[in-house]
Amino acid sequence: MERATQLQSDEQRIDDMFAIAEHRDQAALARLFDHYVPKVRAFCLAKQPGANLMADDIAQEVMIRIWNKAHTYKQESASLNTWVFTLARNARIDYLRKNSRHQSNIDPEYLWQNVVDENADPFKDAQQKKDQERIQQGLDKLPADQKQVLAKVYLEGKTHKEAAEELSLPLGTIKSRVRLALHKLTIYVKR
Amino acid sequence: MTNYHPSIEMLTDYAAGSLPLAHSLCVSTHLEHCHECQQQIRKLEMLGSHLFDQTPVEERQLSSLKDSFFDTLMKQPKVETHVKQSHIEKNTPHWDEYKIPSSLRQFITKSYDDLTWMRLSPSFKIATLYNEDGGAQIALTRVKAGAHMPTHTHTGDEITLVLEGAFSDESGVYRQGDFINRDASHKHKPIVTKDAECICLTVLDAPIEFTGWFTRLLNPIIRRYHPHSHA
Ligand SMILES: [Zn+2]
Repeated sequence: MERATQLQSDEQRIDDMFAIAEHRDQAALARLFDHYVPKVRAFCLAKQPGANLMADDIAQEVMIRIWNKAHTYKQESASLNTWVFTLARNARIDYLRKNSRHQSNIDPEYLWQNVVDENADPFKDAQQKKDQERIQQGLDKLPADQKQVLAKVYLEGKTHKEAAEELSLPLGTIKSRVRLALHKLTIYVKR
Repeated sequence: MTNYHPSIEMLTDYAAGSLPLAHSLCVSTHLEHCHECQQQIRKLEMLGSHLFDQTPVEERQLSSLKDSFFDTLMKQPKVETHVKQSHIEKNTPHWDEYKIPSSLRQFITKSYDDLTWMRLSPSFKIATLYNEDGGAQIALTRVKAGAHMPTHTHTGDEITLVLEGAFSDESGVYRQGDFINRDASHKHKPIVTKDAECICLTVLDAPIEFTGWFTRLLNPIIRRYHPHSHA
């Protein structure tokens, strides 16, 4: 997609969010459904290939959360894509914990709520955009082996250890690939 | 100011949502005290959103899913957005009370004192928050000012997060918010600082074993409180 059109549709989706928050606009929700549901389904199928029912359930859950929580979305703390990604991530975790052999009573709802820091910072928005750009551009240039590991961790929901087992590589190799990638994306700065 | 943080691998797994819930609980509690790691998570989530955005989507007709979604939506009871807020609301503790981290409020509604504490020695108490089925043991330990914690070894990984007070061992001093991850090979001998009692959140992949002739007596008790152990 052209960069300009992408930015334009990003803006359209932000408007849709406000329309939902302010006057419960169902047409706006339908547009967000068309955009995000295929992505959320793909995200779930990456974790469990073929599990179409699970993918449908989680995608619907994410849309319900968008509808119910639209008023809590703050543009200055996260881009809409990031916000939806965290909803999808949390919904997937919740689904898996309720439907797995070893059920856990730890409610994920409590575990990712404080991450957004509430200090108002006039430079934050600019910083946010800069980080966003760096990550996007860096991601395109990443070597395939580093990108593969990131996809395992983020999309397939594997821990570093599980990724190592699946790729038959030593854990150290996985760790260093992720560190190298994060370093290039300027996410990770050695303390 | 915290000095001990989760590893970048652990933060990445947490942001990606692949970290086990018990470990995520510790990371989340650390984040409440650590601005630095919060920033790291913010960027790791950005990365997640780009990968999420780039996932190839399959061509699939979603109109029936869409219809059934809007059906469900119309049937859902009027928005319940504030239901959950009520018991995670910011509680303003009395001046002499500890503030319970939000991540732990699903287990502790009022105060640490309301938990069922099991006294293992005159200066050492433990309260189980939750034992995962076939998984981790999540507990709080509470040790009096200046006291030694019983020497112990463990079979799996152990995460300790300092909630109140401070303690030290051979490798350093740990204060509020510090995140300490130790594997089974580590045998440590922590001492609580003299000024205040110390409360820690601990997550064990496998049950703790106390060493030494005296504490050997305690092991059967601990095991009873960790019903899923087969050690
Ligand atoms: Zn930190």
